[in-house]
Amino acid sequence: MKDSCSSIAQMLEKYFDRQATDQEKSLVENHLSDCTICQEKLGDLEGLRMFIKAPVDAALRQETFPWIWERIEKGIRQERKLSWWESLRSWLDLSPLFRKRVWIPAMATAIILILVTSPLLFFKKDPSYSERSVVEYVESGVYNVMVYESENAKVTVIWLFEGPQNESPAS
Amino acid sequence: MALRGTAKRISSFMKKWTPLLVFLFILFFAFPPLAPAQVQTRVRVIEASNVGSVIDPSLRDLHGQLGSLFRYTSYRLLRDERINLSPNQPASVPVHQGRSIEITQVGLQANMAELRVRIKRDGADILNTQVRLSPGRTVLVGGPKHGEGVVILALSANF
Repeated sequence: MKDSCSSIAQMLEKYFDRQATDQEKSLVENHLSDCTICQEKLGDLEGLRMFIKAPVDAALRQETFPWIWERIEKGIRQERKLSWWESLRSWLDLSPLFRKRVWIPAMATAIILILVTSPLLFFKKDPSYSERSVVEYVESGVYNVMVYESENAKVTVIWLFEGPQNESPAS
Repeated sequence: MALRGTAKRISSFMKKWTPLLVFLFILFFAFPPLAPAQVQTRVRVIEASNVGSVIDPSLRDLHGQLGSLFRYTSYRLLRDERINLSPNQPASVPVHQGRSIEITQVGLQANMAELRVRIKRDGADILNTQVRLSPGRTVLVGGPKHGEGVVILALSANF
């Protein structure tokens, strides 16, 4: 064996297992091109692999794995097509909605919504006079002004009095 | 199996989207929907008098209100104008005898428009007021003499 063979020998197994880096691979291949000893060693490794692999492959070819088929058949039976009645029942089945994963977030959402909306729905703010009032302000340098606001009739009257002899609202 | 899958999907959907939905819900209530920018305002110029007993057919919707408030027997429509008011853009409608009414939209909420109303005579303000109008509500501005009766302005808004 050459001196460099000892250093290559460490990399040869990695090369054989296809785990060598590109640099190691090129070093090994360069060495193998002119080293018959290492070529033989690599051949031995390949022979050993074939020696182990052949009986395993043969055993695998003979094995039918009945337990796998059993599971597949079971799965097929479970996945069989449902009748229309079974499909309808599965659609109407609300039980998944009552699982914890679903109803906990749903309940939390409902509670938050109730907390947020209840003040708006049940505690109506009593409008202040200025909010109820239709006329915010009125001013006239010429007329006397009367404002009459009727909430029920949905009408507001701004009446201008030109003088004592003029018309006035009469209800 | 299918049901379990559906439940899982619902659960993961709820987990993902519940916070967003809650946030949107809060936003919706915290900030009311934006109101339309324009307000359609109707200005009707009415002559009310005790001469005859004519009720203009186009005042039918107001007749009950006018009858409950005033003692006039006749209501005649002199002018009917519909104006689209943009924010802070005054619009003017001639009324009678050198008078005009100028209306400006100064504010708009979801169900209420704030309008500044100026009645002018020969260019000078004779009335300056600001009213809040909701759809279906009417403001009547009246009093000045016109012919045998008085003139009444009926303001209403739609938005």
